[in-house]
Amino acid sequence: MKRSAIALATAGLLALGATTSSAHHSTAMFEWGSAVPLKDATVTRWEWTNPHTFLYVTAKDGSGQTKRWAFEGMSPNHLSRAGWSRRTLTPGDKIDVTYYPLRDGRNGGFNVTVTFPDGRTLNQLEF
Amino acid sequence: MRFIRVLDVAVGSALVIAGTASAQTITEQSRESAYAEIAGLPAFEGVWQPDWSAITKLRAAEGEAPLTRQARATIDAFNAAKAKGENIQTEGANCRPTGMPGVMRYPYPIEFIYSPGKVNIVIETHSQLRQIFTDGRALPADPDFLFNGNSVGHWEDDVLVVDTIGFSPLISLMSGLHPTQQTRMQERIYLENPEKLVIDTTITDPELFTQPFTTTVSYRLEPDWDLREYICQENNRDAADEDGRPSMNLGFDELD
Repeated sequence: MKRSAIALATAGLLALGATTSSAHHSTAMFEWGSAVPLKDATVTRWEWTNPHTFLYVTAKDGSGQTKRWAFEGMSPNHLSRAGWSRRTLTPGDKIDVTYYPLRDGRNGGFNVTVTFPDGRTLNQLEF
Repeated sequence: MRFIRVLDVAVGSALVIAGTASAQTITEQSRESAYAEIAGLPAFEGVWQPDWSAITKLRAAEGEAPLTRQARATIDAFNAAKAKGENIQTEGANCRPTGMPGVMRYPYPIEFIYSPGKVNIVIETHSQLRQIFTDGRALPADPDFLFNGNSVGHWEDDVLVVDTIGFSPLISLMSGLHPTQQTRMQERIYLENPEKLVIDTTITDPELFTQPFTTTVSYRLEPDWDLREYICQENNRDAADEDGRPSMNLGFDELD
């Protein structure tokens, strides 16, 4: 019984609540559930590691200055079963991002989606 | 021919309790017959993913737990500290495994593997192993205090009944409540259908609960999944201080 990724996506549509988002910590430091966009970002680093992946990008902030952002993401254990891999993102890639911001105001948060120039979107929390 | 040592339990095996060792004799069973016996057990083998919606319901059930006055006061004090910014984060943020019963309820899969006299449960999160001894041995009379406790199991028809004692005081039975030396757990593990495994977990402890407290989690079979490595210390940028205040190192300094 071989189940394809597409069948899995239809059969097992999952949305993570705040209590189950991570194997190892609470989501209290993020504005969980309130995704904001960051457009025209450039990937600088993609860490395919446990307990979390990390995505580093640069993008222009509201004042037009180029700044760095860091986004925590789900683990490779979760993401590898949801269509992601260590090859998903490469430095230099142009992407749009949505994320739950850090409450402390630093340039970062929890990554929710990544959208590529061809319109393809990958989701961290639903698959 | 290799033989496998098995305990031959001369007394009824429905209740495995300490002190029955005198009624047991060690016999030898051929490797062939030991593995043939496994083929007759319910098909637990495989990779099972916890149902996350069941885990959410679990939090609600824990809110209704039949707590003693002492346990209620402990949890109330724990929750009151949250208002001061404490107890937001657990030691899990520092990569410490959670222990029972949380070890069975991580958002990542578990795998059941049978071997003669043992049901092995491999837990993907933190790459852990629980061994349920089904060879008829008794629970240890003077157990060490372990995160996942000390477990023996027996079969009641197609239900694996697992008794566990001896829990580390570092673990939590639910948020803010640590076990005592009297804490016992009994899990009833069974297949509701070939693709759905259910575990009912009952915790008893006269200091903490006024009556046995049972919660249920189900799992779906994932025939195409393999367990992956999970080393939390690989790149952990989250942390909890000793009062459970969270912090996060974004790692910008390391990029410079």
